[in-house]
Amino acid sequence: MPAGLGDRRRFTAALLGRTVAPEPFDPPARVVRGVLVDISPHLLSLATPHGDERFVLTEATGFWRGTGSGFSDLRPGQDVIVRCVPEAASVAERVWSGLARATGVIAEVDEDILRVDTGHDREPVTVVIPYRASGRMQVRHPRLEPGYLFDAVGLWDDGVLQALLPATSQPHYPAADAPRRPPVRSAAHAIAGMVSWYDPARGGSPHANPMGLLGGLAYPALDRAADCGAVCDRATGCAALPLLSLGATVGLVNQCTGESAILPVVACGAAVSHFCDRCVTCDSPARGRIAQLTLASFIALGGRPEAGCFNATLTVG
Amino acid sequence: MIEILRETQFPILVAMLLLGAVAKAVDRSAQGPAAFLPVGVRRFFGLANAGIEAVLAVALVALGGLLGDLARGATALLFVLGLATLYQLRKRDPEMGCGCFGGLSTEPVGWRSLTRSGLLALAAGVTVGLPGTGAAAVTGFTAWHGLVLVAELAVFAALSPELGELVKRLRNPVPCELREVPLNRSIRRLRSSDAWADSRAFLTGTEPVDVWRHGCWRLVRFAGQRRERPVDVVFAVPLNGMRKEVRVTVTGTRADTEPAAPGEASAPVSRSQGTPTHSSRFV
Repeated sequence: MPAGLGDRRRFTAALLGRTVAPEPFDPPARVVRGVLVDISPHLLSLATPHGDERFVLTEATGFWRGTGSGFSDLRPGQDVIVRCVPEAASVAERVWSGLARATGVIAEVDEDILRVDTGHDREPVTVVIPYRASGRMQVRHPRLEPGYLFDAVGLWDDGVLQALLPATSQPHYPAADAPRRPPVRSAAHAIAGMVSWYDPARGGSPHANPMGLLGGLAYPALDRAADCGAVCDRATGCAALPLLSLGATVGLVNQCTGESAILPVVACGAAVSHFCDRCVTCDSPARGRIAQLTLASFIALGGRPEAGCFNATLTVG
Repeated sequence: MIEILRETQFPILVAMLLLGAVAKAVDRSAQGPAAFLPVGVRRFFGLANAGIEAVLAVALVALGGLLGDLARGATALLFVLGLATLYQLRKRDPEMGCGCFGGLSTEPVGWRSLTRSGLLALAAGVTVGLPGTGAAAVTGFTAWHGLVLVAELAVFAALSPELGELVKRLRNPVPCELREVPLNRSIRRLRSSDAWADSRAFLTGTEPVDVWRHGCWRLVRFAGQRRERPVDVVFAVPLNGMRKEVRVTVTGTRADTEPAAPGEASAPVSRSQGTPTHSSRFV
């Protein structure tokens, strides 16, 4: 969390009560990110900011680099993130390498290259759709034109995102024409919806960018008068979320796995406020994105980044 | 009687034009014909539309003679164009609101909106040729003018779906957790509170060093000093009505200092007495 924002939580707790601003509580699963040093069929070695760490690979360990590839695609030097088995901190449950994602509004299209605006507080992402993924992308993103929404998972390739998997079904209207949220009579204490993820380090290893292991979430209903600021480009999302600021803490429960955590709001989720989609991972009818978790928190809460989302319940004190 | 009918149109036209201009100027939703324009020019279109309506309203009040007739003719032309646009809009997108009164005009274009536009065009048309300005006509109003005005207002109210939408919104206001509240309003409320008056002695500056929001509360932190040591003075300003009171806590600025929680308030903040390092007060 950026410096000074922890004080906001303390002051909020002092004035409004500790249940309103609870202390952050990490998810149970251990997540480690680092640079791959060595890999063998039974052992994976990572260089992390805290030194080298080794993880046991079992038959149940899953790997992802691209579309469902195995561990033979992993090479030393790659950015790797490991989710450990909850009961055994040195046994890898699943390993991802090179994860990348672009969520936002298409700003420019130049033949096969897209520039996706990912929110007022982040740099735009350059996206290329490789030929092998173009069919599956076209089915769920039929209009690759400026103003339309885009959300895809893929791999980083020299600062450019190779989009391999669509992470939503694109609405048939531009983001600016999204239907207005129906009037809300009362604000709910717990809001159901889908959560997605973003990588604050944009593929950089935690050595190069400590944000790679940042825990928390980007919130799509940040107060315009404070942190979202004059350039705020967030929309009124279809989930009726209370307005908060950076430093607030919210409870999240993964409805698919039951894992829970209390996470701090660390960024503005303006990009996801435009989406009114639903996640089919565990068949919840709730629409709208209630949070955009950092990659580390998403994995720690039981999410699979390649799926793009999971259903969750968000609780604001 | 015909003259009374003609003169009564001035206040109706001016009120409709001014209300429409204000509603369009403050609205940021894309209702009505603006929705078919490119995103980048929608706001400009809305503001230009509002500007034209405001200028015509002022011209109807202030201009007489040839210039006044020109303004009245332009108003009639505006409503005729509006009628034609609404007709096309209804054919193209039957679910779209007319946008006549900005975000309040959410009901799909129907016979009421179309009839209203037609009647307003007629009302503007019959004022052409009247001597003097609109203001002069209104100052000479009699009881008959008043009766006609009330009857006409009732007709236009019945033809305005926006009134139903307005009543619905007033009955079901946006919950405070979701409502955008300008920062200035919170600061004004803070500065008029007892908590502010009681804590001013601790403040070293009147401009906040940090502001954040938590649902129905806005929290404002100021730098302060107590017993020659720097402190933080933090206020919680409620955003839901005037019944809840502003809260305040004064705490040392050291990061490891935990401010007092509501149930643990130790001593009240006061100008006249010394207070412990951690104090909290609910005024």
